[in-house]
Amino acid sequence: MKFLVHSLFILFVSTSFFAQVDRSIMPKPGKASIININESQVFTLANGLTVIVSENHKIPKVSFDLRMGSDPQLEGDLAGLSDLAGSMLLSGTKSRSKDQLDNEIDYIGANLNADKNSIFLSCLTKHIDKGLELMSDVLRNASFPQSEFDRIKKQNESALLSTKSDAASMAKNATVKINFPAHPFGEVMTEASLNAIKLIDIEKYFKTNFTPKGAYLSIVGDITKAEAEKLANNYFGSWSGPEVTQADLTGRNKNAGNRVIFVNKPGAVQSVIYLSFPIDIKPGDNNQIPLTVLNGIFGGGGFGTRLMHNLREDKAFTYGCYSRLNITENGSWLSAGGNFRNAVSDSAIAEILKELNIITTELVTDDELNLIKSSMNGDFSRSLESPQTIARFAYNIIKYNLDPTYYKTYLQRIEAITKEEVQQMAKKYFNVNNCNIIVVGNEEVVDKIKKFDADGKIEILDAFGDYKLQISPSDISKEELIERYLSVVTVTKSAKERAKKLKKVKTFIRITDLSSPTIPIPLKRTEYWIAPMTEASKMEGQGMVFQSSYFDGSNGFESNMQTGKKALSSEEIIVKKKSTGLFPEMYFAKNGVNYEVLGIENVDGKDCYVMKVTDETEENFAYFEKDTYLKVKTISIQKKGEEVQEASSIFSDFKEVNGLLFPHAISFSAGPMTISGKASKIAINEKIDLKEFQD
Amino acid sequence: MKKLFLSIGIISVLGCLHAQKKIDFVEYDLPNGIHVILHEEHSTPIVAVSVLYHVGSKNEIPTRTGFAHFFEHLLFEGSQNIERGKYSEMVEKNGGELNANTSQDRTYYYEILPSNQLELGLWLESERMLHAKVDIKGIETQRSVVKEEKRQRVDNQPYGSFFTEMFKRVFITHPYNWAPIGSMEHLDAAQEEDYVNFYKNYYVPSNATLTVAGDMDMAQTKKWIDYYFSSMPKGQALNLYRDFLALDDDAFDKKYALSKTKFDAKNFLESSQLEAKKLIAKYASLPIEIKRTEKDKTQLNGVTKDIIYDNIQLPAIFMGYKFPEQTHPDSYALEFMNEVLSGGSSSRINKVIVEKKEMATFAFSFNYGLEDAGIGIFAAVAAQDISLDSIQFEFDKQIDLIKSSLISDDEFMKIRNKLENNMVETTTSIEGIAERLADNYVYYGSTNRVNTEKDLFMKVTKEDIQRVANQYLTQNARVILHYLPKEK
Repeated sequence: MKFLVHSLFILFVSTSFFAQVDRSIMPKPGKASIININESQVFTLANGLTVIVSENHKIPKVSFDLRMGSDPQLEGDLAGLSDLAGSMLLSGTKSRSKDQLDNEIDYIGANLNADKNSIFLSCLTKHIDKGLELMSDVLRNASFPQSEFDRIKKQNESALLSTKSDAASMAKNATVKINFPAHPFGEVMTEASLNAIKLIDIEKYFKTNFTPKGAYLSIVGDITKAEAEKLANNYFGSWSGPEVTQADLTGRNKNAGNRVIFVNKPGAVQSVIYLSFPIDIKPGDNNQIPLTVLNGIFGGGGFGTRLMHNLREDKAFTYGCYSRLNITENGSWLSAGGNFRNAVSDSAIAEILKELNIITTELVTDDELNLIKSSMNGDFSRSLESPQTIARFAYNIIKYNLDPTYYKTYLQRIEAITKEEVQQMAKKYFNVNNCNIIVVGNEEVVDKIKKFDADGKIEILDAFGDYKLQISPSDISKEELIERYLSVVTVTKSAKERAKKLKKVKTFIRITDLSSPTIPIPLKRTEYWIAPMTEASKMEGQGMVFQSSYFDGSNGFESNMQTGKKALSSEEIIVKKKSTGLFPEMYFAKNGVNYEVLGIENVDGKDCYVMKVTDETEENFAYFEKDTYLKVKTISIQKKGEEVQEASSIFSDFKEVNGLLFPHAISFSAGPMTISGKASKIAINEKIDLKEFQD
Repeated sequence: MKKLFLSIGIISVLGCLHAQKKIDFVEYDLPNGIHVILHEEHSTPIVAVSVLYHVGSKNEIPTRTGFAHFFEHLLFEGSQNIERGKYSEMVEKNGGELNANTSQDRTYYYEILPSNQLELGLWLESERMLHAKVDIKGIETQRSVVKEEKRQRVDNQPYGSFFTEMFKRVFITHPYNWAPIGSMEHLDAAQEEDYVNFYKNYYVPSNATLTVAGDMDMAQTKKWIDYYFSSMPKGQALNLYRDFLALDDDAFDKKYALSKTKFDAKNFLESSQLEAKKLIAKYASLPIEIKRTEKDKTQLNGVTKDIIYDNIQLPAIFMGYKFPEQTHPDSYALEFMNEVLSGGSSSRINKVIVEKKEMATFAFSFNYGLEDAGIGIFAAVAAQDISLDSIQFEFDKQIDLIKSSLISDDEFMKIRNKLENNMVETTTSIEGIAERLADNYVYYGSTNRVNTEKDLFMKVTKEDIQRVANQYLTQNARVILHYLPKEK
């Protein structure tokens, strides 16, 4: 009987249990846990090194994070020096080659990393002594061998090359340059500055900046304070160095009205757009938390922010639009934006400006404020899982002189923030009318974004954030320029002499051996010309003809491996017919070519006359060196539908052949592709057989 | 959000190494087949809730590739009780974060929450499992989002297609032939019945592993799990319930020969009418058969060599070998071998090809172990003016070397130390522990493998490494891909 009651009871319970499942309401939270932030231990060594210890015995690992205390310094012509020095730090020591060092680190399964300002070690607790031996060897005895210097410089050269086709890097460069003029943040490595850095500069940088004075060592993990103290003294106690370097870090951009900064990226289908401005705030400022809340609502959070809602969910201008608030000891700034297709680039700027305005003039809603508070609350709590966070708190408290209870009361302070306070932050820090509007994209958007610039004058920067040099007016006419150029290349004194000399030139052949880092085989280009206007060319490699062209004076074709053979269009034939002769400039006037001299521009350190030649299919820019009148560079820009293709050629090594001057070296680039080479043969009046082009 | 299992970073996390400290856990099955794993740990007041569905791209039909991953996106859309777009918001609003990923073998969802929101996490996952709801707008939106994701991660990423191109050639007959991101045309072609069938076949309790890890009260957690998950219909009764929600009366009647009006709409399982009770009982007794794929034991037939043109600046080479499935005893020695070749700065490939000869800007190898088979990949991006053939020649020299001679004692010790360190590293986050517990249960049939795996690695000998190198690095049966810049 007892059994029966029991099982009936179970039956009853389970039935009613199912009956009670109510899935329609979201469960209520339980009582919130009290968030305990473990204390860190702090002590200082006699040499000035401050040590922070954060114990956590969850796993048998320890990490050592050694950060230097010097301010960043201006590098000028050596921009990028500190980054280069950082990447060389692990290149070996006085007693260990790079191979030995790598091997010993890997042998204990440790991580040892370094950058311009720090060295970081993490390893299993049982390997702590070996790990510290290697870390302190690098710190005391880094050897900077020449071979590694050469290798790392080469790596950086490739990286700079790719910057030129990477819109995001270009935007970043422009942003720091404009926000922080005359400030280390505003310095960007270029090909010239990389080239100027010498090994001795690296050594000097290391000696000046890696010093215990003002430095911090954060020890985190499976270790006690007593052990940490012993190890810190053993390995870092006798380390010595100069006083910390301080620098003037007040350089900030001060705008009168909005500025539009444009960086050209030919062929771009999207613009990278950032609205950015420096902000006058330091870490630990009372306004840091409310300002972070403001940015979270504006565009710093997840999917629910104003920027995301307006520009993605509502307008579908972009895949993502965010604002980032960077608060650092040496300079702070805000950047808001994303990637937007060309057609809506101007509308996107207008919408972001509008959102900046609204958040400054109107109170945020309760819902918005609550969402960001909860999400910051959660971010904070989850971040406590990592012992690194705890050590960072201790570091910030000392380094930025924060109230010792700063992090303990962090959540309470978020909770206390009001809508009015958020608006105050916007009014104080958001420079609605003093924005730097950075746009990296296609030239076609330029006209549409001019209207956002207070004085209507757009500033144009190059990929590294440097001003594109302005063109100054030419001191000679276009006819004079051509006359002087032709005199030089034909080695003649008058038009009459020139005509007579060139009349004797019946044929021309040039063979150029070419190579490209992006093409695995050597290439050969052959060009033929037969007076008065027959021409042919081909590009071949490993027995295959990749590309060829032919024009007999009235008709012709172009052929390449991908698209096959195509007859010249009527437009192309018109262009060919205007471009007669071995030196087409001779006949510009006669053939009615549309050309003008734009002025004088500095190209790679030399002043050049810039001549623009416009024809039916493309725009060409020719650069004639002011001192010699030689044509050293051409740029041609072709528009095909939405896409703009830009190709440039650089000519050098001019030498005489049969009394005429020809460049013997050429370097050609289009997009990420570069090809360069030297002429292996230039011949005049040799017999030419064009049968291979004529079938 | 909702990321694909594609990055090399994830691939190289050695899947599944473990800590020195024992990870304690409790596990049990619910009557409807859900496997539950609980790991209690109080160091931080947060908790991770995850559900692993044992379905991935290998379960797709060849005309609907990419479906498993697409479906993962759809399951953030909402449910019978959660409005469209509110799923993520509920988590974020309550201080949590969430995400999911899809591999060839499984789909994995998780939330990390403040510990007082554990019940919320369980409720959210139960809604997803019981009666997720997707409307046309949700499908269209996610279709565009997935397409953007593919453009960003594959099409627009230099060398981003190598994964797809390699798998296509290494797995000729097995569904690993296609990548989880799949074909956009297939996604466009997907019909309503595809969604319904996928949900009914694979998103069912008997195909799910629920893991909770972190700061929780064990007894209370079990109660909530009972409440939200044990209460779900068993067997095909679940799909009967789903049809009850999805079909109109006529269609339902036609399918089940019973009117919807016989059921209690508010409390389906406890419907009081006898016919309804009978039908529910009948369907509850019918199990849901999950179609599993077979292990791929086939060998590569000869050398396949292809050129792929991509939007890149520097040429690159990728070589692929067929490896055994991740549960195969040889997988430990293979991982060991890979560490010798490519683990850390001092590894053979980095030292010789990148640093000494400066032939490549990057060069590395990695193993990608899956449930039915594995793959070993060698990859290098050429330095300027270096031919891919000469890099291949160097790779082959390294392969010959590891085949012909035993690794040194120093290397052997180095790798053992390194593996030990890696094992510790993966147990630093609660979410990481939850994922490894679930993976070990599903793939190896042993949750406790998180605590024993180290021993399996430590059993590997130098001779084992040489043997597996000879067995699996088959120079006469491999795939070689050359990536070259597209002509502008």
